[in-house]
Amino acid sequence: MSPLIEIRDLRIRFHGDDGRITHAVDSVDLSVANGATLGLVGESGCGKSVTSLAIMGLLPKQTTEITGAIRFDGFDLLKTPDQTLRDLRGNRLAMIFQEPMTSLNPSFTIGDQIIETILRHRGGSRKSARERAIELLRRVHIPSPERRIDEYPHKLSGGMRQRVMIAMALACDPQLLIADEPTTALDVTLQAQILELMRELKAASGAAIILITHDLGVVAEVCDEVAVMYAGEIVERAPVEELFSVPQHPYTIGLLGSIPRLDHRAEQLATIEGMVPNMAQPPAGCRFAARCPFVLEACTKAPPPLIAVSPGHVSRCIRTPLELLVS
Amino acid sequence: MALLEVNGLVKHFVAERSLLGRARAHVKAVDGVSFSLEAGKTLALVGESGCGKSTVSRLVLRLIEPDAGSVQFDGRDLLSLDADALRKFRREAQIIFQDPYASLNPRMTVAQILTEPLALHDLVPPAQRRERVAEILRLVGLEPRLARRYPHEFSGGQRQRIAIARALAVQPKLIICDEPVSALDVSIRSQILNLLRELQDRLGLAYIFVSHDLAVVKHIADRVAVMNLGCIVEEADADKLFAQPRHPYSRALLSAIPLPQPHAKRAKVVLQGEIPSALNPPSGCRFHTRCPFVIDRCRAEAPALVADGAGHATACHRVSELPSADTILPATAGFSPALAKLVAAFSRKTEGANPAGVGIQSARPTTT
Repeated sequence: MSPLIEIRDLRIRFHGDDGRITHAVDSVDLSVANGATLGLVGESGCGKSVTSLAIMGLLPKQTTEITGAIRFDGFDLLKTPDQTLRDLRGNRLAMIFQEPMTSLNPSFTIGDQIIETILRHRGGSRKSARERAIELLRRVHIPSPERRIDEYPHKLSGGMRQRVMIAMALACDPQLLIADEPTTALDVTLQAQILELMRELKAASGAAIILITHDLGVVAEVCDEVAVMYAGEIVERAPVEELFSVPQHPYTIGLLGSIPRLDHRAEQLATIEGMVPNMAQPPAGCRFAARCPFVLEACTKAPPPLIAVSPGHVSRCIRTPLELLVS
Repeated sequence: MALLEVNGLVKHFVAERSLLGRARAHVKAVDGVSFSLEAGKTLALVGESGCGKSTVSRLVLRLIEPDAGSVQFDGRDLLSLDADALRKFRREAQIIFQDPYASLNPRMTVAQILTEPLALHDLVPPAQRRERVAEILRLVGLEPRLARRYPHEFSGGQRQRIAIARALAVQPKLIICDEPVSALDVSIRSQILNLLRELQDRLGLAYIFVSHDLAVVKHIADRVAVMNLGCIVEEADADKLFAQPRHPYSRALLSAIPLPQPHAKRAKVVLQGEIPSALNPPSGCRFHTRCPFVIDRCRAEAPALVADGAGHATACHRVSELPSADTILPATAGFSPALAKLVAAFSRKTEGANPAGVGIQSARPTTT
């Protein structure tokens, strides 16, 4: 079965005012099948959000240079005219952002904002759109939706607003939902509710989800497959069990070792020393080489290829398989 | 004797005033909180947004004045101190904030930021201040030559190190860490947590660690107090609280944390509903609106925080009847031996790098 969305050799460069060119994303290959959830993991500035904005066609055209292909259901999103893209966005492609307060318009009721989406893409009467909006609010477990629909965003709590964002994203039954840190701004108890809701909706609608997060716990709970990004590249991609049991890229290992865990207490947490390379002048070899405890001279000479470890599991490290280094 | 004794602390903020300026509604931010902290130990205050944990930390430093209650620090009654004595007390207790971008003055160099407390408290003669600044910077794993730079030249993790350095400058006995790692990336977070633990071992510091993240708390705390809507609902030694959480709220918080372990086998307690407002907290037990074990008594009568013989205190009417918490606890899932060795490679390198447990490498500013 062909995947719902397939990204091939995506490269994104930002042209700064001072003539500097920042390599935000480099040779990214990704694909997500219908009904699957892909986790996109990495730290600030690794390019995970930029990748998702490229899919949605939301990067500023004047200053961004994008090459490669993003194939979605017969379209190449990078070559699709704006008008068509507007028809796809909010309809078959939907996105949830991290900050639910700034992504809702404070001067319209939440009902207005959901109804606008429905009318734009589905048409029909305002009355039927309103009924659908109430139904959507009920689906995301907002209590007494008939009343809540006429409230303004400031009257709702953070968790409630994020539900409204999800309801809006689901308004037209999208085939692909991109969630960019959807629970990062929420308390853990609300995060648990939202994650539960996302699982529920996925089971009900069969939509594909790309979940962008820095939280490996969230990834383990909801994703089927994971791609780890570092300095604009995918450094490892694997089915979720494999990523957590036999990670093959040193960066992934450093990340796993550096999180405090409830399920066992480490005397000292692992640390990844050094800094992310300056992406205006990316290093010639492996981008993680300067921080890697397993670095060889060869690592700094040429960029490492993605090496297949097992079916569906690739790592951008010439020292793979890493188990051999410590046995 | 404990370094810090807090008794019956209350703080109500006025939320609404009538036309004549009379208070009409109060936010009961802190409503009768008591705890104590030994020198050299870490007490964690955990809970959701708005539970009052940050307000408690500010009350303890008298950055805001409590409405009732007492704070004893090293045998002194903090609330009776005059301005002079209060300033002396500030030498002994410091605070680190969540946002290292907002808590450092952008117009001051690192040297100025660190010299200010030394001068203010007249701790070090002017001639030796530069040397002392270098010493403090080395203590937090930054190179002394960075003292001439401004905060914007540093990354988030480095700025948090500077904030820690500023707190350490006056050689305090107590540091309040208010969500010190929440704004940082995961790999930077571990560096700061390791640093805090190491500084505690070396300097005998006591910490009040305010956090919403129980995994972080488990890593750093000796004792944990769980807060809900202005009250402590459970307080115990960290290992006990994580092995046998008693209060339904502590259990829910624990079970809500996603584990980095796919298909982890544990039951989940997903709380339904919203966090009630502290403006109008529920009657009786303030957790009763979200509690899966609620009975009529909970709605009418607020439970007292009662400790057992081992110092594990719980505020719940039904504490003796609750089912075992074993099902919600994560099964221990250490790394496979090979993975553990690989992870260790990331710690070994650090140990050799410098005694503060943090690489000097990371002290390179972002803009060079």
